[in-house]
Amino acid sequence: MLKVNDVTLRFGGLTAVNHVSLELKEGTINGLIGPNGAGKTTFFNLISGVYTPNEGEVIFNGIKLNGKKCYEINRIGMSRTYQIINLFKKMSVVENVMVGLHPKLKSGFFSAIARTGSQKKEEEAAREKAYEWLDFVGLRSKALDPAGSLSYGEQRLLEIVRGLASNPKLILLDEPAAGMNSKEKEELDVILRKIQKLGVTILMIEHDMKLMMGITDYIFVLNYGKKLAEGTPVEIQNNPDVIAAYLGED
Amino acid sequence: MLIQVLISGLVIGCVYGLIALGYSLIYKASGLMSFAQGDMLTLGAFLGYMFYGQLKLPFVVSLVCVMLCMFGLGQLLERGIIRVLLKNNVLPVYIVLATIAISYIIQNAAMMIWGTQTLTFPPIFGSSLVELFGVKVQPEAIFCIIMSVICMLFLHVFMKYTRFGTAMRAAAMDPTAARACGINTSFSTGVTWGLSAGVAALGGMLLGPIYGVFTMLGAIIGRKGFSSAVIGGFGNMYGAMLGGILLGLIETGTSAYVSSAYKDMISYSILLIFLFVKPTGIFNEQAITE
Amino acid sequence: MNKMKNLMNGKMVPKLLLAVILLLVPLLFQNFNYGLLICGFIAVYVIAISGLDLVFGYCGQISMGHAAFFAIGAYGSAIMHKYLHIPALLTMIIASVAAALIGALLAYPASKLVFHFLSLATVAFGEIVYQLAAQSPGGITGNFTGFYTESINLFGFQINTNTRFYYFALVCVVIFLSAKHRLVHSREGRAFLAIRENAHAADGMGINVRKYKVMAFATSAFYTAIAGGMYVHFVKFISPETVSNKQSVMFLTMLLFGGTSSLAGPVLGAASVLLLNEGLRFAERYQMLIYGVLLLAAILLMPGGIYGVIQKGQQKLRRVK
Repeated sequence: MLKVNDVTLRFGGLTAVNHVSLELKEGTINGLIGPNGAGKTTFFNLISGVYTPNEGEVIFNGIKLNGKKCYEINRIGMSRTYQIINLFKKMSVVENVMVGLHPKLKSGFFSAIARTGSQKKEEEAAREKAYEWLDFVGLRSKALDPAGSLSYGEQRLLEIVRGLASNPKLILLDEPAAGMNSKEKEELDVILRKIQKLGVTILMIEHDMKLMMGITDYIFVLNYGKKLAEGTPVEIQNNPDVIAAYLGED
Repeated sequence: MLIQVLISGLVIGCVYGLIALGYSLIYKASGLMSFAQGDMLTLGAFLGYMFYGQLKLPFVVSLVCVMLCMFGLGQLLERGIIRVLLKNNVLPVYIVLATIAISYIIQNAAMMIWGTQTLTFPPIFGSSLVELFGVKVQPEAIFCIIMSVICMLFLHVFMKYTRFGTAMRAAAMDPTAARACGINTSFSTGVTWGLSAGVAALGGMLLGPIYGVFTMLGAIIGRKGFSSAVIGGFGNMYGAMLGGILLGLIETGTSAYVSSAYKDMISYSILLIFLFVKPTGIFNEQAITE
Repeated sequence: MNKMKNLMNGKMVPKLLLAVILLLVPLLFQNFNYGLLICGFIAVYVIAISGLDLVFGYCGQISMGHAAFFAIGAYGSAIMHKYLHIPALLTMIIASVAAALIGALLAYPASKLVFHFLSLATVAFGEIVYQLAAQSPGGITGNFTGFYTESINLFGFQINTNTRFYYFALVCVVIFLSAKHRLVHSREGRAFLAIRENAHAADGMGINVRKYKVMAFATSAFYTAIAGGMYVHFVKFISPETVSNKQSVMFLTMLLFGGTSSLAGPVLGAASVLLLNEGLRFAERYQMLIYGVLLLAAILLMPGGIYGVIQKGQQKLRRVK
């Protein structure tokens, strides 16, 4: 479904992503790991359209993504969360999810001002749908609170459902467990499996190896912008290069 | 005719440049924009009138006094208002708006103190004209150009070769890293605002003898200074000066050869065109678009 | 049926009360025509500021040249009325549509600028329009002397007294505020807010950021231009003085003082600033000082404006209960 062919990204003289290729299989949970500064988030930004690669191409469901804008890529069916929480803090929790529904809604400027019957119906349906998504992560009771007032872990979950609201085929999760306590991490584990059951492919960056090794089907390892290894969690755990890279960090 | 146009273009252009220099310094040091720069120039001119015209101090002494006063006021502004707003985590837009408020307050305060009349700034070099390339010009005009260039060179040396200048540039580039290196960033930001006000005041002292002193003297110059800064590349000191001189020449050229009615329109149109087509300016200063 | 229920619940009572009071204002000012004049102006500014609120309060895009749209609405309508003999209400609408288009044309390239430079672009735009009004090609705007025009003729009914204009303006305010209410509580309004809160995330969520910035700007320009049109046919005169950058700053002062991103904020802001202005007529020379102080006070002491203070008070009351 996602095919990254030999992409390279440079900032001036610095090569942030260096000839990386990978392919994701539909419906799988994939991990992207690597020591700090390995270029993981940059790689996410590259796939999701924040940056355009200098070389190589990104193909998603047969569509070439090079040069496409973030919002266009979202509409093709790829959504994401951010390493630094990027919620709409002053908007309510349910409104955050409704923003996520944006590409699925049709009514425009004039039907909003005229408040036509179909616009009203669509709005009501959207609100209902947003509440359903909140149920998905257990945030319904906080629907009307400002998003900024949620706890750190709850904000992470809200970002995930906001990303899911547009019914993507692939979701990129950038450190979803960061800042979560162990109970929240267990909940996250369950939610990730629920997302997989929806038929959504996941590619996630995460430092929590216990979570990562337990849940992923396949793992890619980046180091200094290059792909160091790929394989099942078991293979990765026993890969001497990976061990060396991580030991080198410590 | 041509030489006269060139000289008056250079005079006003240098002052635009001085104002733009202030914008660049402030932008580099704090990532902010001050709409009160032009009024700092007005205040400088009024204070100059007071020290030089009324108290009859020697010009150099007056100049130093005015620049010191304005240096203090600039710092006070940063400490008393800008820093408070930053501490309150106010959106940056609001800080820009606050500087507009300050600009109006200064304008009106000046009006209350000195009235609405245009005051005559006594000449610095007597009242005789000097001849240059066969044209008679006010010696103050030549003085204005020379002083602006000196100011520019002084700032260049200051920023590049003094410890303090290096610290300021470091603080502007990466405040966190600079702080980690033991640089007192809040001190250097304050000094930057002070310096900008001082430079603007110098502009006022230089323009005063040529244009006279009135409350709206700096208001338009302040806005033109923005055009200059953008033309040169916002945040770039050399760009500021070059942009100012270019704009001054274009404006006086238009006034002289086309019509003075289109002078302002043209400089604002240039600003818009640069913002839309080449926002990084002549010196290709990055940092202006998202 | 539903509305009847709401009425019983008491939800509609304050609204009805407000409506009755607003309708009875002319009776109140029967012997004080001047008061009604001020009310008319407040209505004009409420529409202008509500427009500015759409782009600044909701979408987070600064405009420091909104007087330009006021100018396009006012001059456009008056000039078309005089030279093309189109009825005044229609010219208002045409001029405002033109203002919206110009706003879109400005916002399209401006949408990639960060806010500092957006403020510069809008200042420059405001100045260009001001210069066009003050020194127009062929003197079509009457230049510094200003431009005279007539009041609105609504199918033979002249809106030429303060009372008549008051009711006309009241209708306009109701129309434009309810349109604003509907817009901000829709998919579009959420996109505006999302862009204000976090443009990168909005982009990532499939929102075409540029499109919505342009939309907010154009709508905002339309509102302010309508206000300009109302103004010119009320006063029957417009001069460059009314559309200078001071006017733009006054708009921002009203908005920030009243409170952004709400329906009530612009109303409170326009009313309080105009009333204060009237109260301080004797200090007219220092008008801009007053705006400066109000603006600074709003930013330093009450970032949510008057409406923000009221909201906080209500929250406290609720907590006490």
